Amino acid sequence: MTERTIFLDPTLGWILLAAFSVLWVGLGFYWGRRNKSFEDHALAGRNIGLALGSATAAATWITSNTTMLAPQFALELGVWGMLAYSTASLGLFLFAPLAVRIRKLMPHGYTSGDFFRLRYGRVAWAIFLVFTLFYSLTWLVSMAMAGGILLEALAGIDYVWGMSVILGVCVLYTMRGGLGAVIGTDFIQTLIILIGIVIVGFAVLSQVSVGEIHAELTAHKPALLDVLFPAAIMAIFNNLLFGLGEVFHNNVWWSRAFAFRDGVGGKAFLIGGFIWLPIPVAAGFIALASGALGVAIPSSDMVAPLVIAQVLGTAGAVGIFIIVFCSLASSIDSLLAATADLVTEDIWRRLIRPGSSAEHLKGAAQWVTLGLGLLTWALCAPRIGTLATVLFFAGPLVGAMIFPIITGLYWRRANTIAAVGGMVLGAGAGLVTYFTIGWFVATTVATAVSCAWVLGACAMSKSRFEWIRLKEDA
Amino acid sequence: MSFSAGFLEAIVWASLVWCAVSATGLGVMLVRDAKKGSIW
Repeated sequence: MTERTIFLDPTLGWILLAAFSVLWVGLGFYWGRRNKSFEDHALAGRNIGLALGSATAAATWITSNTTMLAPQFALELGVWGMLAYSTASLGLFLFAPLAVRIRKLMPHGYTSGDFFRLRYGRVAWAIFLVFTLFYSLTWLVSMAMAGGILLEALAGIDYVWGMSVILGVCVLYTMRGGLGAVIGTDFIQTLIILIGIVIVGFAVLSQVSVGEIHAELTAHKPALLDVLFPAAIMAIFNNLLFGLGEVFHNNVWWSRAFAFRDGVGGKAFLIGGFIWLPIPVAAGFIALASGALGVAIPSSDMVAPLVIAQVLGTAGAVGIFIIVFCSLASSIDSLLAATADLVTEDIWRRLIRPGSSAEHLKGAAQWVTLGLGLLTWALCAPRIGTLATVLFFAGPLVGAMIFPIITGLYWRRANTIAAVGGMVLGAGAGLVTYFTIGWFVATTVATAVSCAWVLGACAMSKSRFEWIRLKEDA
Repeated sequence: MSFSAGFLEAIVWASLVWCAVSATGLGVMLVRDAKKGSIW
């Protein structure tokens, strides 16, 4: 095992961890006082304004995978790796019109599961739930693991302890404050992340120029500058489609479309996309600087904290600690809230206790949040796989859901056979590709197969859906 | 064919400036929403 340098005194690491934990939990409890019903808890009263809406769209998409995996991409796939990661912002841009459409078609909706149930029926709904819950857990696990890895790399805090604290804090304030607390903290976290990335970026550039980075790469790693780097070019399409699939299907984004005030959703997702777009490059280029700075990288998934901490010493270690802690919290809380609401609405309310009161549902959502947190912890504790491997395993599943959602929202011919076939065949083909070729083409294959089936089945269909059926009352 | 130093310089600096502008813009939007009483 490689001996690792600790950049942050463990005591300082614990103090930072405690300070931010108290802040987020305190805000969650404070904002949670307003929640009286499931609608308040799950959708923040459906009244979120533009500033908070834009920030939460960006913050939720700025995961630890953005701040840690983007540098890893840059280190392994070069310039194209950063640019490929940036294409994930298209998910937010293209979801903007969908958010407007969702709010118009489903003014009383709660979850993306509601859409599948009402639009395509129970079989498609069940497949959707399996896919989305697998994806959401994968995302949660990858972020909680990243948190543990970061604390261990920077401050020598044991992986299991660090992961447990970050996850526990998010569970606490999400349970108590619901989506309102998640969105409120997202705003603060977005500002901290953006300012932190700017400070760290300029600090790295004060140590080494872009010209020096380019010269070192040309001499020692020319493939990272190659315009025709095949794996990286395939990764662009894969990331683009993965991003689209993630945003289009997941309740994290649908819950926000339902929670934003009328007229806010489209603008908020558009602005959120513009906020997110430059972050993979701003965070990723520091990995390209590792060679010019003479930083040894024992493990590529830790390149960002290693470079920053080595270049900037304790201040840099504190900076990356805060940036990644905020990145983790802003996504873990959103996923916990949205997935708990999905389970509460789609499983508890629709299948187990149809007559539950609004107050009872709020309590159920809080218990589900706790259960999800415990399950995530149990999956993270053994520390299996690298970040990229864990995350991209879900790519084919989300890619296969893109076309059933788009056609279901805009095309009256879209039907159950098209949706079910698209999801099953697309995901199957994508998973076969994942294991036989690699993650970097799996989502592309899944999306292409799903697209072909869905469009073909819709074109041949004689059925015409009545949009009014989506306006189900709560 | 390789990405030039000028291209790398342009995307790195542009991304950092863009992040700074985004943070400022979010702050301005929040103040504007607060003045209208429409934060949430």
